[in-house]
Parts: sequence; structure tokens; C-alpha cells
Amino acid sequence: MNAATSVFSHIDYLVAVALFLSGAWILLTSNNLVKKIIGLNVMETSVFAFIVTTGMIDDGAPPLLAAGVEGPFASPLPHALVLTGIVVAVSVTSLALVLVLRIKAELGSVELDEIESVGEHDDSAGPGGGSG
Amino acid sequence: MNAWRTGRILTTVLIGALAVPLMYGVLHLPPPGQADAPAHSNVSAKYIEHGAEHGGSENLVTGVLLNYRALDTFGEVLVIFTAWLAVAAVAGTARQTGHESTPPSPIVDYVIRMLAPFIAVFALFVIVNGHVLPGGGFQGGVLLGAMLILLSLAHGGEPVADVVSLRTWIWLRAAGVLVFALVALLGLPLTGYLFGLPTDPTLRHALMIVLELGIGIGGGAVLGGLYFSIAGVERS
Repeated sequence: MNAATSVFSHIDYLVAVALFLSGAWILLTSNNLVKKIIGLNVMETSVFAFIVTTGMIDDGAPPLLAAGVEGPFASPLPHALVLTGIVVAVSVTSLALVLVLRIKAELGSVELDEIESVGEHDDSAGPGGGSG
Repeated sequence: MNAWRTGRILTTVLIGALAVPLMYGVLHLPPPGQADAPAHSNVSAKYIEHGAEHGGSENLVTGVLLNYRALDTFGEVLVIFTAWLAVAAVAGTARQTGHESTPPSPIVDYVIRMLAPFIAVFALFVIVNGHVLPGGGFQGGVLLGAMLILLSLAHGGEPVADVVSLRTWIWLRAAGVLVFALVALLGLPLTGYLFGLPTDPTLRHALMIVLELGIGIGGGAVLGGLYFSIAGVERS
């Protein structure tokens, strides 16, 4: 199999990798904490897409056994694993969001460079200027 | 700005270094959709062959969740409950009040009020049919949670405040964990194994529906609670 056909047949996986890398890029380069959380979510979603794709079968049926449904059935295991992953993603996202809210309440900003400059001002203000 | 530029270059190098092995590895996997790929041949094939008989559910995903990997699902329920505890602990100390949300137009308000009961009924349908149709506790729970969030967006505050006492509301969030733990312990006298479901089909279906109801209602309450905590509208 030459490279071009290989790329074409694996396009679903490659899209998942591209999504993962874009998510990582957002996570690493954004200055805004909320955008970092969005980047993390894009990465998570790409992993879910990848795992679900591995369970797919061409012209297959969903793994619901009912009268008159013939196989091949898509694999049920990746679906169950991704469900677990989604729950963890929701938990992580909500905890991250509430921490960002807390940072906003304490330091007045969700931009990393502004938060750092808040710290510098506090240092120059002398003792007692720590947490507000 | 110099540090910013160095950071950008480092990130680009890192993403590139990540991209090459990922792309290479992914291209050497069996293409998606092939029936004879390893992903379909071992565990999955057994699940499809015996899943309905062992798992007691025509929806094989539900069978995997509630029977084969019940311990996993218990952990899942525990994770989201713990997440709510953590969110409530962080949010509770810094209450963000003062920003009163503007009430929506009467039309939006009316439509949301009309929709809510239908969403709740659909959520219940999804929950109790989780073993035959696509759906189950988590999906129905998300629907319930979405309904709570929708109502809270429309009216502000906690939509359940008039209906459920604070004590019940807190216990409801633990419903998933408690029901799951109870059914797991029930497996000991019934089958001799933790998380074991009895082989009698009627009893097993009944227990699975109880599990799904616990996960669904608990999950919905937790999702609603997460939103109320973050939005700062929770009762205390």
C-alpha cells in the first residue's frame, strides 16, 4: 500500500491527530485561562473521536441486539470506555472552570500576563499584599 | 516580547515533535472500519457473542457498563460526585453575587417552561430503556442536568428550590454512588460476587433499571449542582 492510499484510508485517525495537536497548541500558547480549558477539551474530544473510530466497522450495525438486526456489530467496548472518558472530562472541566472563577475573584483577571504583573505589584507593596 | 517569541518557537518544535510519531503510529494502525482488526477480534468479539446472555442487556454498551465493567462505572459515578464536592468547596468560599441576570423575554421564558416537562419525560424514557435502546443512566442524567441548567438560565437561582428541600437535594447528588454501592453489595448474597447481577432475567432487568435510575437522577443532580455552584446561585 503506497503512502497516498494509506493517508486516504486512515483519514479519520489523521483528523483525530490534527485535532489533538490543535488542542495542545491552544493549551500551550493561549494567554487566557478559559482558552486553555477549551484547548484541553479539544484534546479530550480528539481522543474520544479516535477511540470511537477504532470501534467502527464499515457497514456495521450499532451494538444493539434486536430482532432482524444482522452483524457485523460495531465494538461496544470503545463506546463504554469513551463514556467513562466523557464523565472524567466533564469533571475536570468543571473543576478547572471554578478554579478560574476563583482566580478571577482573587486577582481580577484570567489573563496569565496580567496575573503575573499582579504578583509583582504585590511584592513591591510590601508585606500583607498577598491574597486579597 | 522576546520570551514570548521563544515560547512560541519552543511550542512549535514540541507540537512538531509530537506530530511526527503520532502521525506515523496512526498510519500503521489497521485502517478504521475493518472487521478483522485486532480491536474487533478478542474482547469485543466475546462481548458481542455472549454480551446479551451474560450482560443481560440487548444494548451491549449498557451490558459492558453495568456488568462487565461495573467497577469502572462505579468509579465513574464516584469521580463526578467527587468533582461536585471539589467544585462546591472551591465555589462556596468565594460567592460571586451581585450580578443579577436580566430576565429573558416572556416568549423564551414560556417556551422553556413548556419544554421542561417534555425534557424530563424524555430523560426518564432514555434512562429506563437503557438496556434495549441507545441511552442509559448517563445520557438521561445529562438530559435532566440540561433541563435544570435551562430553567436556571431562564429564571435565575435554583429551579428545584421550591420543590426539593436542601437536605434531599444534597442526598440526591449522592444517589448514583449510593444506589450503585447498594446494588454492588446486593450482588454478594445474590450471586456471591460484588457487582454481580442475578441470572434471573426479570430480577436482573429490575436491578439494571434501578442502577440506571440511580446513575441518571444522581448524574442529573450532580450536573445541575456543578452549574449552580459555578454560576453562584446555589442554596447554602
